[in-house]
Amino acid sequence: MTKFRKAAGIFAALGLWLAPALAQDDGVTSGMLLHPPSDSWPLYHGDYSAKRHVKFTQITPENVDQLALAWIFPTNTNASIKSSPLLVNGVLYFSVPENVWAVDARSGHQIWHYEHPHGKAFLIGHRGVAMYGNWIYFVTADAHLLCLDAKNGHVRWDVVIADSSKGYWMTMAPLVVKNHVLVGVSGDFDNLTGFLQAVDPETGAKQWRWSSTPPPGTPNATTGGMTWMTGSYDPELDLVYWGTGNPTPVLTGVTRPGDDLYTCSIVALHPETGKLAWAFQASPHDTHDWDAVETPVLVDGDFNGQPRKMLMQTSRNGYFFVLDRTNGKSLLSVPYGPVNWSKGVDAKGEPIPNPAKEPARDGRLIAPDEGGLTNYRSPSFDPKTGLFIVAAHPSYGIYFAKPEDGTFGWAGADYGVWGKGVLEAIDYKTGKIAWTHELGPGGAAAGVLTTDSGVTFTGDAHHNALAVSTADGKTLWHAGTGAEMESSPIAYELDGREYILMGSGGVLFAWALPESAINRTTARR
Amino acid sequence: MSAQSTKPAVQAPSVVRQNEKPAVQAFPTVQVENGQALFLEHCAFCHGRDAGGGETGPDLTRSKLVADDNHGDQIGPVIRNGRPEKGMPRFSFSDTEIASLVAFIHTAKTRAESQVGKRRGVDPEDLQTGNADEGKRYFAKECASCHSPTGDLAGVASRYVGLRLELRMLYPARAEADATVTLSSGEVVSGKLAYLDEFTIGVRDASGFYHSWPTKNVKYTVKAPAEAHAELLGKYTDDDIHNLMAYLQTLK
Repeated sequence: MTKFRKAAGIFAALGLWLAPALAQDDGVTSGMLLHPPSDSWPLYHGDYSAKRHVKFTQITPENVDQLALAWIFPTNTNASIKSSPLLVNGVLYFSVPENVWAVDARSGHQIWHYEHPHGKAFLIGHRGVAMYGNWIYFVTADAHLLCLDAKNGHVRWDVVIADSSKGYWMTMAPLVVKNHVLVGVSGDFDNLTGFLQAVDPETGAKQWRWSSTPPPGTPNATTGGMTWMTGSYDPELDLVYWGTGNPTPVLTGVTRPGDDLYTCSIVALHPETGKLAWAFQASPHDTHDWDAVETPVLVDGDFNGQPRKMLMQTSRNGYFFVLDRTNGKSLLSVPYGPVNWSKGVDAKGEPIPNPAKEPARDGRLIAPDEGGLTNYRSPSFDPKTGLFIVAAHPSYGIYFAKPEDGTFGWAGADYGVWGKGVLEAIDYKTGKIAWTHELGPGGAAAGVLTTDSGVTFTGDAHHNALAVSTADGKTLWHAGTGAEMESSPIAYELDGREYILMGSGGVLFAWALPESAINRTTARR
Repeated sequence: MSAQSTKPAVQAPSVVRQNEKPAVQAFPTVQVENGQALFLEHCAFCHGRDAGGGETGPDLTRSKLVADDNHGDQIGPVIRNGRPEKGMPRFSFSDTEIASLVAFIHTAKTRAESQVGKRRGVDPEDLQTGNADEGKRYFAKECASCHSPTGDLAGVASRYVGLRLELRMLYPARAEADATVTLSSGEVVSGKLAYLDEFTIGVRDASGFYHSWPTKNVKYTVKAPAEAHAELLGKYTDDDIHNLMAYLQTLK
């Protein structure tokens, strides 16, 4: 150890005086965020488009059955990994509530671990960190934003984003857009205003705040519209796309007549000012807790013979939406599984809620259930096939509400009745389901990743890591992981070897082809 | 409540129920507060900050299991083992931590029961809007091929009440299924289906032994009659459900 330290010290000294600065000294640059290299995953979604698709071709439908374990990293915590790791300069950064790890992406060994003192807040989940320069941005359960030094996990600054004593908490991975760190908030058990806030990456100072709903106490107005999840960004249009959460009170709409803007919406914001460019409401006057925070996936392609800049979302309420992302106009709104709560869609493509399906004293059977037809884990868009692949959750729940339940927070009760997991490949032009792959009873919780070679990675309800053919959904490979898979896979290439990274329970699994197999493939080329 | 307080959170019980379990279980304040802190971090998102129900998790203050629990004998195993089929993970808390969670849950129950109004949850009285005759007709049409009011469902309304009855009627989770597996040798193994995914089938035979095979190497059939309930979910009107409930509640 001493010898090693001494040697490291000499190398460091040489590096300081003789060698030109390594590229990694700059950490994450705007250029890297705009065009992530294959040896990086510098954003929650991998890139700004949120397709969760990689151009990789080393792992193919033909050889994926040889996929083997490269390493595992156990967090040794009670928590499940729900975060999507970042990879920058060979180091992975990922989180569970109040914890961040830096792990060597080649070997899976820990470089540092930061644990935040627990506040009085929910440790329900954590989606990951953001990075800009050599700084890590990490939200705490009690609604602080921390800036950590990527080298060692030391805290550079700590700012309060929202008042956790009022009922706010945070789970999301911030999104860095130019000189802005965008952070969103959570909170469903109190009537609170949802907002998205831009923060100066250097100082933590507030740059702007966009509120999705009016202040609590505004007559006949909703609260809620939490900004739970990480949005996407179009650098050409210079618009940020974000989903907003359900209104509060959650299961009753009596105090909030009308559509309850901008809850359950997909919004486009100008990143410099936070001003709203447009909004599309996925669930007007929601009474079923179906936030519209599922990944807003940005796709450029043909729609009805016309080139379009599109935004696609498989929403929690059961609808697959295709929007023109220049203006928010609907191109397609169609259910992708059982949906029984709407009376169809209106001229704007927004679903029309059926008042008879609002929660009631004697119960209403609703499809999908509260967890929704999908939830926070990412879908993937495969550009070659035009398939939008999502881990869906056909399900029914029963919803109750009565005046005694009040009009604060949850204000009702609901119970899951039945559900299952199905991987669905949706043709974005029609909304038709090209193929399905059953994932098991209850539901599966893993997100989806696709590769250019035609492999789709996800997990099933039985804790199997799965690779299926993107063309037809047929199983190509599997491995039991021992615990529920609750995060979305990522992929990276290091030293000529492609890795697929998945979380299962509190353990990270890195899969890759055996090095001998890679050498054979390379030799044949 | 302050940590310095020396008063117990709830007074010791004066009423003892028939089953000899205390109606109100008292716990030291510090233990309740420790339990509350743990509950807030790990349980409250699903079960609510006051244990009165949150996202996805039931109201624990009205839970039968909590009512039947005596200082953790029922709650403890559920925390340790989870309820994977209902989406509840297992938690590896220490015995002390589980005891504090149990203390908090019972205290929250006592508190909730002393509140007037503002209760979330479902009372049996809420589920009385249906028409039993209509329900009986529906039953004859859709349910009678598997169930009989004088056979398997005789007295069902005494065994299950209110929401429990309704949820069981809609979909009986964890219902048993039978499996018959034919091996490549021609040998046939029958038993209770213990595990099934795309790749592996597991069967518990009559003597209780577990066996499994790769699905690709065997032929198998699964009889899971309860799955017929899932088929009905897309066909019910809410009135059908309320009527069926009204009818089932006559089967005392």
